[in-house]
Amino acid sequence: MRLLELEIQNFGKFHNKRIELQDGVNLIYGENESGKSTIHAFIKAMLFGLERGRGRAAVRDTFSRYEPWENENYYAGKLRFECDGKIFCLQRNFDKYSKKAMLVCETDGEELSVENGDLDMILDGLSKASYENTLCIGQLHAAAGQTLAAELKNYATNYYVTGDSDINLTAAQEILLTKKKAEDRKIKQALFEKQKKRDMMEQEASYIWRDIHHIDGEIESVQAELELRETEEADKSREDEMEAEWGKRRITDILRPAKWRIHPIEVAVILTMIILSFTVIPGPWNSFVTVIVALLGAIYIWNRMKISKNKVKTEPEQLLEEFTSEEELVPTDKLTWKREHLIRQRMEKQVEYDNLQEQLQEMDEMGSEYRESDRKREALLLAVKRLEEVSEDMQRQLTMRLNQRTSEIIAQITGGRYDRLMVDGELHMSILHDGRCVAMEQVSQGTLEQIYFALRMAAFELMYDEKHPLILDDTFAFYDDVRLARTLGWLAECGHQVIIFSCQKREEELMKRNGIHYAKTIL
Amino acid sequence: MLIAGDLFHRQPLLRELKEVDYLFRSLTRTQVVLVAGNHDYIRKNSYYRTFSWSENVHMILSGEIRFVELQSLDVAVYGLSYQKKEMKEPLYERIQIEDSCRYHILLAHGGDEQHLPFRGAVVDRIGFDYVALGHIHRPKELVPDRMAYAGALEPIDKNDQGKHGIIRGRLDERGCKTEFVPTALREYIHMEIEVEEEMTGFALHSRICDEIKKRGIQNIYKIVLEGFKAPETQFDLGHMDTYGNIVEIVDHTKPAFDFVKLLVRNKDNLMGKFIESFQDAEPDSVEYEALCEGVQALLETKRG
Repeated sequence: MRLLELEIQNFGKFHNKRIELQDGVNLIYGENESGKSTIHAFIKAMLFGLERGRGRAAVRDTFSRYEPWENENYYAGKLRFECDGKIFCLQRNFDKYSKKAMLVCETDGEELSVENGDLDMILDGLSKASYENTLCIGQLHAAAGQTLAAELKNYATNYYVTGDSDINLTAAQEILLTKKKAEDRKIKQALFEKQKKRDMMEQEASYIWRDIHHIDGEIESVQAELELRETEEADKSREDEMEAEWGKRRITDILRPAKWRIHPIEVAVILTMIILSFTVIPGPWNSFVTVIVALLGAIYIWNRMKISKNKVKTEPEQLLEEFTSEEELVPTDKLTWKREHLIRQRMEKQVEYDNLQEQLQEMDEMGSEYRESDRKREALLLAVKRLEEVSEDMQRQLTMRLNQRTSEIIAQITGGRYDRLMVDGELHMSILHDGRCVAMEQVSQGTLEQIYFALRMAAFELMYDEKHPLILDDTFAFYDDVRLARTLGWLAECGHQVIIFSCQKREEELMKRNGIHYAKTIL
Repeated sequence: MLIAGDLFHRQPLLRELKEVDYLFRSLTRTQVVLVAGNHDYIRKNSYYRTFSWSENVHMILSGEIRFVELQSLDVAVYGLSYQKKEMKEPLYERIQIEDSCRYHILLAHGGDEQHLPFRGAVVDRIGFDYVALGHIHRPKELVPDRMAYAGALEPIDKNDQGKHGIIRGRLDERGCKTEFVPTALREYIHMEIEVEEEMTGFALHSRICDEIKKRGIQNIYKIVLEGFKAPETQFDLGHMDTYGNIVEIVDHTKPAFDFVKLLVRNKDNLMGKFIESFQDAEPDSVEYEALCEGVQALLETKRG
């Protein structure tokens, strides 16, 4: 691409200003505040448009800065340029009301559309950022707190690592790693959900387990009760037997039929004794004795009745009676039935428990929930790794090619004083002087500027096949006359259109003296 | 009614057996024959061992081939019940038919390597009038009108796609005639949705709703998104389930990068080299996904 003519219709301080540009070296001379930067900004605005900032940012943005001093609603310009042998005319209106861009190919009269990317096509993907980073060369500006050497290294590193100073490898890798972390979180979440489900099932199982134990306890107590009753029954029958044996030794018991508590003979004997004591014993004692005998008889009968009615309870029996509730004072049949029911219940619970255990086991075997996340994670890691590899590979190649070209340019500018730029794997740069390595920090500012210039030129050549115009804005302030002359010589022969902005007469004098052809514009 | 195993997914509880027996009893004109499968296999404390079924229900409890005769129908049903989770012997292939009844039916469960493997052709040669198969969840006919898996009555897993139901057959002098009767109330549907480049999240949502309405909202869906979406589009997949019947949405869409164009524009820089390094990646591979992610990250972080 070659710029042919700038027609600044209304932009900053300029009004209807035309600047024609030639092939080869163009010198635009202007004193301070004559508008060199404005022209520079104009070229950029024409090629890439002028976006208005929003809010507070708008106060100091480029748009406001170059808003025409007079008649600010007319904010426009025209740029004619040549590309691939065709001449194009680009007209832009920047002001907010009639903002538009028109592109016409003057060679074949075709009207093109900027919105549809025709301009991008013509510029061959040249972006605003790469225009700033490669085409425009100002002085090496150190960022606050950084040395010039560091700034130079920064520039070179970015270029070395990606082959394009626009591409930001570290930021891209960071994005990928952040995404990977998100996937990790997803996997963790899935595992967590699964664990929660598992925990719930385990809890259910533990409840059932507790039930089983509870039932076991109940079965045990019922069993104990039943056993107790059994032994009691056995005791009772044994006692009965013993009592029967015992009874044999008592005459009354033999005489007395088993089912009767008191034999009639006993009653008869008692009655006879009462009558006898009343009749045989002489009075007044007889009534007294009769009463005593009658009482004795009554006590005997009373006792006999009581013995049969109330069997004396043993102490443990009494205790048991106190402790066992009404419920358990149920018949033995019912208890046996209860035991069976409990055993059945226990079995049911056991099956339920086993089923749950089986389910838990199967849960461990499955688990495809996070396969997708796993895959994504793998892809992201691969992307990071591959970026690293490609970048390393490219760094190696680029470093070699770039170093070679940069070295050639430096050698030419410095008249062979420095003949090689070296960059090691860690991107430490040094320069070779008489076979001796000199670190970047040790060379003078002028030399640093020249290395920077050479590096940019070399990068520019490697990056674009198309010959774009080079814009040099007060680049040479630190150059001595000898090196400046050599640099200008190199520029005149490099084949690019070169636009030099300067506020000094030095460049012109040197070019004149060295017979370098140039076109001059005075602002 | 023939139940070819796995009436229960795990060991049945007594109350469950009572329930199902009550249901069987209500079939007044039907004889039920069942066996246990690998899921409800007859464990040593299984209720199957002791449960007394209604008169019209016949269970073959043995771990070896036995048969029950249904005199009224003049049919003998052969089969066995699993006594453990796996049985690797090809027992079904070794059956010999006894001539006690006119018709012979085999009630078989399994068929894969761990579960009573058998070759359809071999079993078919034994001479059963019909072989009722269980174990596989999807209905499948091995020999037309003579041997078939009925499948689960309702789909029980998100991968159980297709119709589910029962096999109804008629066996008489002319032979056996069967048909599949879909009875399931709903089915699992794997639905692919082709995403187009200009599709927004809302458009996708409407599209999914429409498709579900078309196929029936009683069904349950697993949705796979295919095709290309605009690189900057991000679908919020958590908000697509309007009817509450989507179990899973898998996003297989790829960002619609024009890799050829990108490669031409960036042939000498990192992005170009990166794209080149993935030249042989298959469209569905992890490599391809890595390529898309990498390019997207590079574009997002590009200066200018």
